[in-house]
Amino acid sequence: MEAIDYNMGTAAHDLTTLERKDKALARYKKERDWFAFLLEAAEMMDTPEGKLQVKLLNILLDSKEKVISSVMNDTPFVAAYFCTAPEILNAMNLPWFMIMETPFLAASAPYLLDDLRGAEEMGLGTDLCSAIRLPMYYIESGLMPVPSAVVGLLSPCDGTTMLQQVLQHNPAWKNVPLFAPDPPYTSDERAIRYFANELRTMVSFLEEKTGRKMDMHRLREVCEESNRTYKLWQEYNELRRAVPCPHGWEIGGAQAFAVSQCFVAGDPRCTDWFEQLLECGEIKVKEGRGANEYCPEKIRILWFDIMPYGWVFEFMPWLEQEWGAILVMDMFSNFPYTLIDTSSEETMFHDLAKRNLMDVPMIRQARGTAENFSSDIARMVKDYKIDCVIWPGHMGHKDGAATAGIMRETCRGLGVPFLHIGLDLFDKRYTSVDEVKDKVSEFFRGMGLG
Amino acid sequence: MTALDDHIRQVTEFVATMRRQGRPVRQFVLPPGANDLRAGLPIQLGAGANPGIILRSETFVELGNPDAGSCGFALWTEKPSLLEDGRVTLIGPDIAESPLASLPFGQVVMAGGAHLIGDDQVSLGQAQVVADQIEGYMVRSNSRNIWSRVSKQVGARGFSFDTLARALMFLIKSAVPRVESVEIAFVTSSKGDVLTLNEIAESAQAIGRAALKEHWKARGYDLDCDLHCGSCDDKTVCDDLRKVLATRLRKDKEAVGDDAQ
Repeated sequence: MEAIDYNMGTAAHDLTTLERKDKALARYKKERDWFAFLLEAAEMMDTPEGKLQVKLLNILLDSKEKVISSVMNDTPFVAAYFCTAPEILNAMNLPWFMIMETPFLAASAPYLLDDLRGAEEMGLGTDLCSAIRLPMYYIESGLMPVPSAVVGLLSPCDGTTMLQQVLQHNPAWKNVPLFAPDPPYTSDERAIRYFANELRTMVSFLEEKTGRKMDMHRLREVCEESNRTYKLWQEYNELRRAVPCPHGWEIGGAQAFAVSQCFVAGDPRCTDWFEQLLECGEIKVKEGRGANEYCPEKIRILWFDIMPYGWVFEFMPWLEQEWGAILVMDMFSNFPYTLIDTSSEETMFHDLAKRNLMDVPMIRQARGTAENFSSDIARMVKDYKIDCVIWPGHMGHKDGAATAGIMRETCRGLGVPFLHIGLDLFDKRYTSVDEVKDKVSEFFRGMGLG
Repeated sequence: MTALDDHIRQVTEFVATMRRQGRPVRQFVLPPGANDLRAGLPIQLGAGANPGIILRSETFVELGNPDAGSCGFALWTEKPSLLEDGRVTLIGPDIAESPLASLPFGQVVMAGGAHLIGDDQVSLGQAQVVADQIEGYMVRSNSRNIWSRVSKQVGARGFSFDTLARALMFLIKSAVPRVESVEIAFVTSSKGDVLTLNEIAESAQAIGRAALKEHWKARGYDLDCDLHCGSCDDKTVCDDLRKVLATRLRKDKEAVGDDAQ
């Protein structure tokens, strides 16, 4: 029998169920090992920030181990998204992974470019968002564990819907039960109530398909813990208003998003992580220390999108070293969240619906009407003393591209320079890192910022 | 410009109800001129007046923590006569009376001007974001409610709702010159009272969103998308495709079922 290359995304349609399971597990373990390697490195850093990384990686690894254990023991686990109320999954004791996990969390992994090439060889269009293209590739090539149930996503863009269609047609996935809560277009009270009902239906679906039951007392506990983490997050975000900003791209923002929503939502370890984060930030603010001790802060940036994870290490340190440009705020670090009222079952579902429909990043901006593109920028520029706004113009964010004019006009009104680049946040072949650096340098010089 | 006259009347009625129900209601009138508002303030005002941030340990009073209750919104009218310029209404305890407390907080700013235009709504909205313009006062960066801190430093100098109202009125009148009169109501009495006020806010926000849409439309941008499947010329093609896909999916599933047998 021919040996299966577990590391490569070869077509998986001919694999038996067992072979497919082994192949997916091998890749999932490889990803876990990547983070375990990062953990070993973080454990060597004897700094408060180093301890922070250790705590984060432990939370992440625990979530991965739970999925691995579920696959190996054939116990229920779910594929879902950060914006499909992960508190519910925690309350139901359901291990889960994010379908777009690799582009969001492991985009620094050394095999990312190979995966993108594999997706191209499979025939997936290069004009399709790479964050969507990658999971499609993992599904089609058998590199993603087949879950017991899928919670799908129908917003914020057409690409996510297409991803659901791919898994519905894939031989290994098409019989996996799928439920996608239907997000309304508007953002009023009626919309929230509608979506709250969708979340209730999601709970019934999960109960039926996984056998796990929802305990409302447990949901209350999880939501209260989640509230504690979000309160600390907001407290921390206030620290980022300080000049100089205590942390840049490396610490804080994007990690806060991941810890609160992407692994296990509403867990005391997440609260503990935020307490440590706050402590780190407060120490630096009190001492007047900035993000990078060797590069004094000169330009305060709002990066209004996901960070360029596929090439973040080649770009973000350069911004600090070359220009003293500190990423003070970005779309995923922003805090538009309101806390969950846990006084009744109805208020919990109402507020979970609001959070997942109107607060979480990308969904907040691109699901419905476009006013948040303007109002969020205006708010952040004022609150965080932003010197310039960069809309990276990720090739997959076509919805955002349609509102670049609104963002530009907003910035013009605020008297803050605005840069629209045009790139791929995960694939540096789209616009090379050098080209991006060149555009940014030209922008800083032209606007008199550097 | 879209008027919110009815909502202003609702706020007036809300204040009257609070008074009837025995809440401590205080009212005072501040001078109309921007310079008069600024005179005698115990704090600095303007860009950079509050350069740092106010940490938890430096907080004299916290306003509008979501646990305590929070609500903040702005209303406007083209009939300045609906408002008494400079009037401040305070329902509940003042800042100076509540050291180290976390008070529920509702704030309604009502602005009137016969010549207000659509753009002024955006300016009014942005004027609410005080950022670093009021010394010793930091509104936390939360998009819906007003959750703020008064520092111990300015608390010791007598920072009160009189101070905050003067500062807000000054900033609004400076940012939107077409505003002729401003009234402000603060509520700190209870979470329930703040939530009652919030009902007015929610209905006003819907009107505000519609006005914002018009504001951007006048600039050539649609916040809203009018296109939907029902309005598309290619709807029949898509419907046919869906039928084909559904049939294919069904046949695939049947084939899997046959194989299994």
